[in-house]
Amino acid sequence: MVNTSLASMLGMMQLTDSALPTGAFSHSLGFETYMHREELEDEASFSAWMRMFVEQQLTYTDALAIRMVYAAHSFDDVADLDELVTAQALPQQIRDGGITMGKRLLSLASASYPSEWADAYAAGVADGSLYSHQAVVWGVIARDLEVPVDEAVASHLYATVISLTQNAVRAIPLGQNTGQRVIRAAQEWIARAVEESAALDEEDLGAIAPGLEIAQMQHERQRARLFMS
Amino acid sequence: MATEHETHNWAGVLKLGVTERNGRSVAKSQYHEGALRILRPHYLDASGQVTYTAINPGGAYFGADRYLLDLKVEQGASLLLTTQSATKVYKTPQGPAYQEMTVNLGPGAVFEYVPDQLIVYREGAYKQRTLVTMDPTASLVMSEIITPGWAPDGSSFKYQELRMRTEIRVTGEGGDKRLAVDQLRLKPSELGDIRGVGLMEGHSHTGQLLLADARIDDALYDELAAMVEGSNTLSGITRAGRDAHGVHCVAVRSLANSTADIAQLHQDIINLTRKTWRYQAKLDLRKH
Repeated sequence: MVNTSLASMLGMMQLTDSALPTGAFSHSLGFETYMHREELEDEASFSAWMRMFVEQQLTYTDALAIRMVYAAHSFDDVADLDELVTAQALPQQIRDGGITMGKRLLSLASASYPSEWADAYAAGVADGSLYSHQAVVWGVIARDLEVPVDEAVASHLYATVISLTQNAVRAIPLGQNTGQRVIRAAQEWIARAVEESAALDEEDLGAIAPGLEIAQMQHERQRARLFMS
Repeated sequence: MATEHETHNWAGVLKLGVTERNGRSVAKSQYHEGALRILRPHYLDASGQVTYTAINPGGAYFGADRYLLDLKVEQGASLLLTTQSATKVYKTPQGPAYQEMTVNLGPGAVFEYVPDQLIVYREGAYKQRTLVTMDPTASLVMSEIITPGWAPDGSSFKYQELRMRTEIRVTGEGGDKRLAVDQLRLKPSELGDIRGVGLMEGHSHTGQLLLADARIDDALYDELAAMVEGSNTLSGITRAGRDAHGVHCVAVRSLANSTADIAQLHQDIINLTRKTWRYQAKLDLRKH
């Protein structure tokens, strides 16, 4: 039997691995619109985009959502967060992507790491009363695995950055080494997101700058698309 | 007393209740205090919709000041709320200027919110929080245009932070449900640049418009999307929100280089919904 902290680390490594089949490989979360505008063509422009994305969506939605799960007093709080995180995702593809990836993560995780909240979440999604979102699902599982909250936030953000970078390496395309440099640089941005998100409250959830959200909306009407968002 | 405490905290309060009488919408209750007033009502078309114009005699929102707008539109009534001129936020060393708005819409009620632009000047910070609670048969449109002010050195975008949060809830069996939460946050990035990717992207103005109505369908959405694409703005449109007692929501967000380009798009959208849902005449905001 492995000890608690080792068990939680291994669980975290499994569920935040970019190879976990949640469908993250098919989402650009907005960067494909910038590709289409020919504004993302090299390491500098993609790094700037990724840094902005970490400062915006990953800090104000994903990081905060995970913290809210950790702060929840009961599963009712998680259910309310599930509604809020869905309602605040205005761009349809972002909302649907969050639900789709959340459902995949929930079904994988609740099978391997069953808990009272994971089961309640899965039951709510099955009967249509809950939506699921990958950050909220991860928060539920990580909390049960007793992953410290900062690590739960950082690991989810890092997994998202790695998936997006791998997608950009394929799509833009960028070299593999370039991708790794972006991922290394992103560690500093993620550390800042972990810190900043700790000072936010519920009403900050989903706060976003206009340019990113417009790009995410415009993706719906883009003709040739490699990604679902 | 909680109410007394709240009253004394506001720099300006505006409360308005609108009801329908013999096909005309009229004020049933009206209250103002401090730095918010309201002009006498107008009827801009034959629909019976009442138009009110909010004014701010102080000419600006000041730092740490809090302003409250509380609006109720009763069953079958229709309210258009606009402003007399742009809302200005100057330097706010005391903390952000803050506006809170609550809107309650009864069955069949119509609310159109078409304020002038918000201008946030150098070192100004502004927070706006809006909560709409609507009946599933009510109809809502809310628009905003945000323009940066000037700085003495000629550069714009030197404000600290701008936040606007709008939550729309729909009443119904089993309790209120959140339909959509619209959040705007503009703050210069760590690099100190607000013009860059994801933020203003080289533009000087941003706009947003929310529609909530059970009658939004694919045909209307396609027409709205064509308007967005044909506009002189960089805009996105999306089917926002989640299932909330059958009400649908559409969100439009824009970047542009003038107030007029965003205002035109908003006006075209509002006019299409008026024509489609109510045979109501086009929006004509003659400023009095």
